[in-house]
Amino acid sequence: MAALHRHSWCGATALMVPLLTLAAPQLLKLDGVAPAWAVLWLLPWALVDGPVSGTVAGVALGLALDSLQLGPASELPALALLGWWWGRIGRQGPPIERSFSLGLLALLGCLLLNLSLLVPNAWRGELGWSQLQTLLAQTLLTALLAPMLCSLQLLLWRQQTAGPKG
Amino acid sequence: MQAGRGFRFGQLRSLGRLWPWLLLLVALLGVRLSKGAPLADAYALLSRPFWPGSAQSEWLRSAQQIDQQSQLLQLQSDNTRLRRLLQLAGADNSLIGAAVISRQTSGWWHQLLIGKGSLDGVSVGAAVLAPGGLLGRVASTTPTTAAVQLLSDDGSRVGVWVLRIRRHGLLTGLGTARPVLRFLEKDPGVRPGDVVVTSPASTLVPPNITVGVVQHVDDLAVPASEAVVQLSAPVESVDWVQVRRGGR
Repeated sequence: MAALHRHSWCGATALMVPLLTLAAPQLLKLDGVAPAWAVLWLLPWALVDGPVSGTVAGVALGLALDSLQLGPASELPALALLGWWWGRIGRQGPPIERSFSLGLLALLGCLLLNLSLLVPNAWRGELGWSQLQTLLAQTLLTALLAPMLCSLQLLLWRQQTAGPKG
Repeated sequence: MQAGRGFRFGQLRSLGRLWPWLLLLVALLGVRLSKGAPLADAYALLSRPFWPGSAQSEWLRSAQQIDQQSQLLQLQSDNTRLRRLLQLAGADNSLIGAAVISRQTSGWWHQLLIGKGSLDGVSVGAAVLAPGGLLGRVASTTPTTAAVQLLSDDGSRVGVWVLRIRRHGLLTGLGTARPVLRFLEKDPGVRPGDVVVTSPASTLVPPNITVGVVQHVDDLAVPASEAVVQLSAPVESVDWVQVRRGGR
């Protein structure tokens, strides 16, 4: 059984998410919009470590990211839901390794995350073209980066959880 | 009974395994309630070697002098000019120079993180200026950093007026590069090219700071006219900003 969360240094890599969010490297932007770093870290973590760990990681990332952003909008519910969903997918079916599958999961996850921010705005009647533009740009960029970054993380996390073979 | 006791012991054992994670969650709740103070301060500490150099600060100072000169030319009445001169008397001491250490100018939030915080006298609500004019207001502070809500952010609302016609309006961020200016009355006589400055009636920002130029006017908007404003401060390229000490 996977127990990625027992390796504390693995959990510490989650610090890269708020740091990359703050640093916002220009090279990795599409139309001025950065990828959803939380999605790119959470997807492989939850796939390897299961729904409970995925949900806890989603809540932790949500709290950290919400603390850095202004305004009342929160990423926490969507990230917690994604952690749980991806954890279940990782536990139930065969291991997900294909680039296309990772890209598709990241695309759906990023779409859900952006919709969770967009729907309250639409409810208040403040929906604008710029918000749809942000949704499209971030979803596309995250889905494109996921096969590269998530594959590497999946490989690393699975090596850690496999342990020494006798 | 035994089964019930076993179940309870099982619960206790699982709680014993969970306590480090509960501690972590409590710590993260602390981070959330402090508006990310440990994270922002850690980021400021780690990124300090890469902050913009002092040459940018000199450039900013000279650019601001040019900006102030252009503003003086725009002032038309003696009353406004005298008010501005009075403001300038203490202006040098009331500005705090700060490096921009994180920038989000697109996406869901439009904000800057600057490398000066409450320890340096930056307070919530303070106006943040750049060469060209007003950038936004300080939304939250940590001991060594401050988060600035840009004028283009969804939640930004600032009172402004159009200098030529002296009509007041509310500059509202839309999450795009160009905020919209909502007037209080129908057909105020504004036209593209008019300069927009902060309102003397505003309690949030200092008066007569350049904000931008009217780019497009919609006289058919209801309930009153609206204008799209091109901001004059280049938020994408500015590396140093100046913060008004003590809020407004």
